Amino acid sequence: MEVIINKVDSVTTVRLVGRLDTPASQDVAQQFEPLMADAKGTTVLDCTEMSYISSSGLRIFLSLRKAAASQGGKVIVKNISDDIRQVFMMTGFLNLFEIE
Amino acid sequence: MELNENIKGFARKTTGKGLLLVVVAAVTLEATSLVQYFSSRRMLMEEASLRAESELRATRNKIMDIVDQAESAVHNSIWISRWCLDYPDSLAVVSRRIVEENPSVVGSTIALVPGYNKDLPLYAPYVCRTADGGTELKSLATEEYDYPSQEWFTEPLKYGIGYWSEPYLDEGGGDILMTTYSVPVMDNFGRVAAVLTADVSLDWLTDLIGSLRVYPDAFSVLISREGKIMVSPVEELNMHESIQEFAKGTKDTSSFNVLAKGMLAGKSGNVSLKQSRRERMFVFYAPVEKTGWSMAIAIPDSEIYGEIRRMSLLVTFLMLIGLGMLVLILRSVIRNQLEFTQLNEKQNQMENELRIGHDIQMSMIPQSLHPFPERKDIDLAAIIVPAKEVGGDLYDFYMREDKLFFCVGDVSGKGVPASLVMAVTRSLFRTLSAHEKSPQRIVTLMNDSMTDMNNNEMFVTFFCGVLDMTTGHLRYCNAGHNPPVIYNGDVQFLPALPNLPLGVLSGMSFQEQELDLACDDTLFLYTDGVTEAENPLHELFGESRMEAVLRTRRNAQENLEVMRKAVADFVDGADPSDDLTMLFIHYLNDMQPDETERHLILHNDIQQIPQLAEFIETIAEEIELDQGLAMSLNLALEEAVTNVILYAYPEGSDGLVDIEAIFSREKLKFIISDSGVEFDPTAAPEADVTLGVEDRPIGGLGIYLVRKIMDTVSYERADGKNVLSMTKKL
Repeated sequence: MEVIINKVDSVTTVRLVGRLDTPASQDVAQQFEPLMADAKGTTVLDCTEMSYISSSGLRIFLSLRKAAASQGGKVIVKNISDDIRQVFMMTGFLNLFEIE
Repeated sequence: MELNENIKGFARKTTGKGLLLVVVAAVTLEATSLVQYFSSRRMLMEEASLRAESELRATRNKIMDIVDQAESAVHNSIWISRWCLDYPDSLAVVSRRIVEENPSVVGSTIALVPGYNKDLPLYAPYVCRTADGGTELKSLATEEYDYPSQEWFTEPLKYGIGYWSEPYLDEGGGDILMTTYSVPVMDNFGRVAAVLTADVSLDWLTDLIGSLRVYPDAFSVLISREGKIMVSPVEELNMHESIQEFAKGTKDTSSFNVLAKGMLAGKSGNVSLKQSRRERMFVFYAPVEKTGWSMAIAIPDSEIYGEIRRMSLLVTFLMLIGLGMLVLILRSVIRNQLEFTQLNEKQNQMENELRIGHDIQMSMIPQSLHPFPERKDIDLAAIIVPAKEVGGDLYDFYMREDKLFFCVGDVSGKGVPASLVMAVTRSLFRTLSAHEKSPQRIVTLMNDSMTDMNNNEMFVTFFCGVLDMTTGHLRYCNAGHNPPVIYNGDVQFLPALPNLPLGVLSGMSFQEQELDLACDDTLFLYTDGVTEAENPLHELFGESRMEAVLRTRRNAQENLEVMRKAVADFVDGADPSDDLTMLFIHYLNDMQPDETERHLILHNDIQQIPQLAEFIETIAEEIELDQGLAMSLNLALEEAVTNVILYAYPEGSDGLVDIEAIFSREKLKFIISDSGVEFDPTAAPEADVTLGVEDRPIGGLGIYLVRKIMDTVSYERADGKNVLSMTKKL
């Protein structure tokens, strides 16, 4: 999985490209660490090119969301596919994130 | 209570009817005997009357013989007397001749009318019979006697005809009862010259009358013209009292007077007299002509009706005995009837209870007509036909996690005890199989429970099977039951180890067997009520007949009907000796032929996870799954496998994860197994997806997603392996 982070002012856009499966989550979790350390601003998770997410991926999303919540920041999930929206629905994530 | 009331009511009714019967019988008998009594009375009276009359007639005839004899002796001597009037000395000769020639005449005289013969103002030579049979001449012309004043002399002269004197006692001749017949004798000039007499002794009358014995206690009485009692059984009365005087002293004077009047008037007839308070007598009377006497025969009623009284006493006695016996018989009949009724009521109650028992028992076993209407992969039919209302056979089946759990059993013995053990067995099966998937485990646990509580030496032959509906894999365990039949083109017995029946040996280890069923295979489970059904000739239905029926392919319900009819036809109306149970399981999972299996083995390395995506992709291509579904299946499989990789094996050690996918266009099944530490992911608590950001735990979503995506998820620890099976309908 490719993670492309682009920060403009207080808005950090994270492009997730590929499958966020369990092994991928291990890498992604490392790359998310600085994001979680500084989550005061707005983090946009651009999922346009993310084709798959497992529970470990969801866990990363949730960890970021928790970090942002504690720092007064905000997480926006952008452009998830219908299939991933199903997974969000099943897990109650639709209520935890701002979805665009 | 109601039962008792019913019986009491019945007893009252029956007793009432019985009493009525006795009363009717008594009245009928009494009426019959009364009719008989009165008709017999009339007949006896007629008979008595006939006998009395004939006796009277005979006696009268005898008297008349003597009377006639005396009369004719006298009459025949009139002419000679007339001749002798002028020769008074010869008169005695005439008299002597009369006495000598007539035995009944004891004395005779020809007494001249005073003044007829100037020489002899009074002349009456009397010849009488002496004690030695000779004759003696006496003269009646004495001053003391004064014969012209005597009745025998005056009366015939008064009327000019023969006259029978009132009887009298001959004082001179030893108180002999006498009567005298006297006639006037005219001389040749028609003047009254003398009176010719013949004394007739009446002693014989006493004998004659006394000898009359119409009935043993009957007696006869002879009275004179004037009513003097001449002969009667009471000596003191004879010649001393008249009937009129006697009548005054009796209790029934009026009736007696009627009798006296009739007799004195020279009539014949009969009168009933009251003798004492209880005794009456019947008197028949008739006149004795010429003498003016009247004769009567008195017969006591008891004499006439004695027989009938004895008879009626006997009849009454017999009747009472008969009625007594009738009462006894009725009593015993009523008692029997009561007992019978009570018994009947009890039996009804018992039958009712057994019927209820039957209903309860039948409601325990699952209904066999289309038990799984939503499933197309199974066709099942079952029946229990108890020999009695309740029985000891059982079958059961149910579906859990796509597996058919089923069993057939036969409790030793029959009837109520067997039915109770059957109920226990069935409950145990349901309870123990709820958490077990291995028939061997189920049977072993059941056996241990049953041996623990089995005090009555009852045991159960039992066959238990678990059929995986998706794979057709059958695991089974037999506990002493008849091996089921399987037919898959060929009819054969399922290879089944006999083992021991349930309830025999505690701690017994049973052995499990397995077999794969193909689509359209049928299992036939039964109890020995089928193979050991007996016809009237005591032949058994047997396995060969059973196999012959099974050889034709039918659906389960038809199979059941045909087999049942075959057994019924064979038995031919003989009483069933044992319960009969049949269970047909027709496996129809036709997805199996197009089912595909894919196998993937991974190491416990998380980096191998992406292989799952390829694995799913090939399956998705094969059965043309849409992308979304494929992704979901990938997710579920990944989560399950991740679980194993992360937790099954100790960190750093190498282990394998075996992934098997069995799939068709309709269904997909994953079987994930590993030989790691025992771990049941399905035991994890359900994640709460409604919680907010702060409260939401980071983990726990994996198994949650698996459950959410798949239709069934089940875990099993078998042969040292964790086996997680999950299916999804497509």
